[in-house]
Amino acid sequence: MTMLKHWYESKKPKKPVHKPLPETVLPCKKYDAIVVGAGPGGASAAYFMAKEGLDVLLLERGPYPGAKNCGGASLIAEHTHKLFPNFWEECECERIITQQAYWLMTEDSILASSFQSLKLAAAPFNRFTVKRRNLYQWLCDKAVSAGAELHLNHQVDQVLFDEGQAVGVEMSPPNQNRFLADIIILADGANSLLAEQAGLIPQVSPQDLALYVKETIALPAEVIEERFNLLPGNGTIIGLIGHPTAGFNGTGSIHTFKESININVGMAIADFAASGIRPYELLERIKKHPLIQPLLSGGVSLEYGSSAIPEGGYHAIPELVHPGLLIVGDAASLVNGTHGFNLAMWSGFFAAQAAYQAKISRDFSQKKLSLYRTLLNESFVMQDLKANAKMAALQRNVPYLFNLYSHLANETAYQMSKVYTMPKKAKRNLIFKKITSIQPLTKMASDLWKVIKVIQ
Amino acid sequence: MSKLTHCTELLHFTPDDYWQHISITDQSVCQQCRTKPCLTLCPSGVFTWNLHKSEPVLVLYKQCVECGACRLVCDNINFSFPCGGYGVHFVEG
Ligand SMILES: Cc1cc2nc3c(=O)[nH]c(=O)nc-3n(C[C@H](O)[C@H](O)[C@H](O)COP(=O)(O)OP(=O)(O)OC[C@H]3O[C@@H](n4cnc5c(N)ncnc54)[C@H](O)[C@@H]3O)c2cc1C
Ligand code: SF4
Ligand code: SF4
Repeated sequence: MTMLKHWYESKKPKKPVHKPLPETVLPCKKYDAIVVGAGPGGASAAYFMAKEGLDVLLLERGPYPGAKNCGGASLIAEHTHKLFPNFWEECECERIITQQAYWLMTEDSILASSFQSLKLAAAPFNRFTVKRRNLYQWLCDKAVSAGAELHLNHQVDQVLFDEGQAVGVEMSPPNQNRFLADIIILADGANSLLAEQAGLIPQVSPQDLALYVKETIALPAEVIEERFNLLPGNGTIIGLIGHPTAGFNGTGSIHTFKESININVGMAIADFAASGIRPYELLERIKKHPLIQPLLSGGVSLEYGSSAIPEGGYHAIPELVHPGLLIVGDAASLVNGTHGFNLAMWSGFFAAQAAYQAKISRDFSQKKLSLYRTLLNESFVMQDLKANAKMAALQRNVPYLFNLYSHLANETAYQMSKVYTMPKKAKRNLIFKKITSIQPLTKMASDLWKVIKVIQ
Repeated sequence: MSKLTHCTELLHFTPDDYWQHISITDQSVCQQCRTKPCLTLCPSGVFTWNLHKSEPVLVLYKQCVECGACRLVCDNINFSFPCGGYGVHFVEG
């Protein structure tokens, strides 16, 4: 453990390195804006800037959009529709979500709560499952047709500064060149090494970054529909709580696609490190669960993967506006629960507006660009994050919350459904005794109090 | 077949034969490291213990899925992303 970082010390930002540009910078084209990362955040920013007539360069390290991300995923229709009207006619979606469920799990039981409605199957819809390749590609296509230049296989090595003002980016090999611009937008995702290396943001704490693993399993469309009780083309998303994360606060989920499903599960990196649990062991816990196994039977494993999600919430959001530079999406820690697509797209949109205003006034100062933060603050992005801030703290204060109460709820449900040859009152007393044997009453009351304080 | 090989067989890579994007800064520190979180934390089993060698931790960087977790738990791990176009690529979302 000698080299194991102290969780809190790791928040210290590194010293800024403002590298002066050598005199001999090759005369390369200067753009109005450079966007690093062609995810939902970066591609949206590029699209809206290009649409306003800005000269935009979008740089992506992967060989195609979406190559570097995995897990999930579903898109909330309402927020996306407001930015990209009738997006479902352009973006290839997998299934229309008509059912949302939560399963509180123990090793041999599931207490399910679920809502299913055909109302959700009509425009403007509620949610869609999407494959990242399709989502990212669609947004990149929009950016390119609006006039943005997209370079794939381009890994930005560092941001270039001139007296504290961001002025360009330098690529890593094999394309070791430089690009210059008045505005740099960092949309490089959950592990934003660029902002960190430049000393603009502190290194994220392993408590605030969750590690997720996923497995995609192929099943015929009709089998998915039959096993999950769905009409053709409709889908379900199931949140898995309790047993999957082995006593730690974390979550799992099942996302249904057209002809496959994704099983996702994860928890804080700090908890993985401290517990010694191997991430893929959590996937096994779900796949081997006696009540989940039959749902997967006959399925063929297609792909494994792992990605991180910022889970620090509102209080983990770093400074997002810097001279000549804005940070959007996951790099800005803008994730609510496990929802990040909409926050990334909207933050990209707001950043584009600030960039446009800066461009027409030829003022790229931090003050001018702070319009981005103002727009964010006034929108659902910050308001929702603020509303959820207490929930994140609660999970830290009661680290066993999800697992323990999943046990309790299952035990209660089990006792309730069991037929005893005893009068009702005696049955109630018995259940009460069983439950309080799992968790003493005073402890339950104090946890409950913490929950109430947060929710009210 | 172990669970990990089941997982890593389901991944797609364009490996970079000339540059290793993850390395151990000082292998002697690993000898002293008590809990060795890198060995269990990595979702892709990149770090493996190598008993009889002067380099106790082997870094199988070509099977890294670029989640970034290791860089947050150990200062002795020198992490950067692979060069443009190299490394893992996901196709199934
Ligand atoms: C398992 C899992 C499940 C999820 N499920 C959902 C869900 O159901 N719904 C939802 O809304 N959100 C979900 N999320 C969150 C969502 O994935 C993110 O919030 C969202 O992708 C953020 O978008 P972004 O554009 O900010 O970053 P990203 O999507 O991470 O995109 C960043 C891009 O930048 C590129 N990049 C990084 N560094 C560089 C560099 N130096 N040079 C060039 N390019 C670079 C990357 O290759 C990547 O393409 C999930 C996340 C995970 C891990
Ligand atoms: S790499 Fe870090 S965590 Fe792993 S053994 Fe070495 S010092 Fe320990
Ligand atoms: S980035 Fe993730 S997959 Fe790669 S070595 Fe580190 S922990 Fe393992």
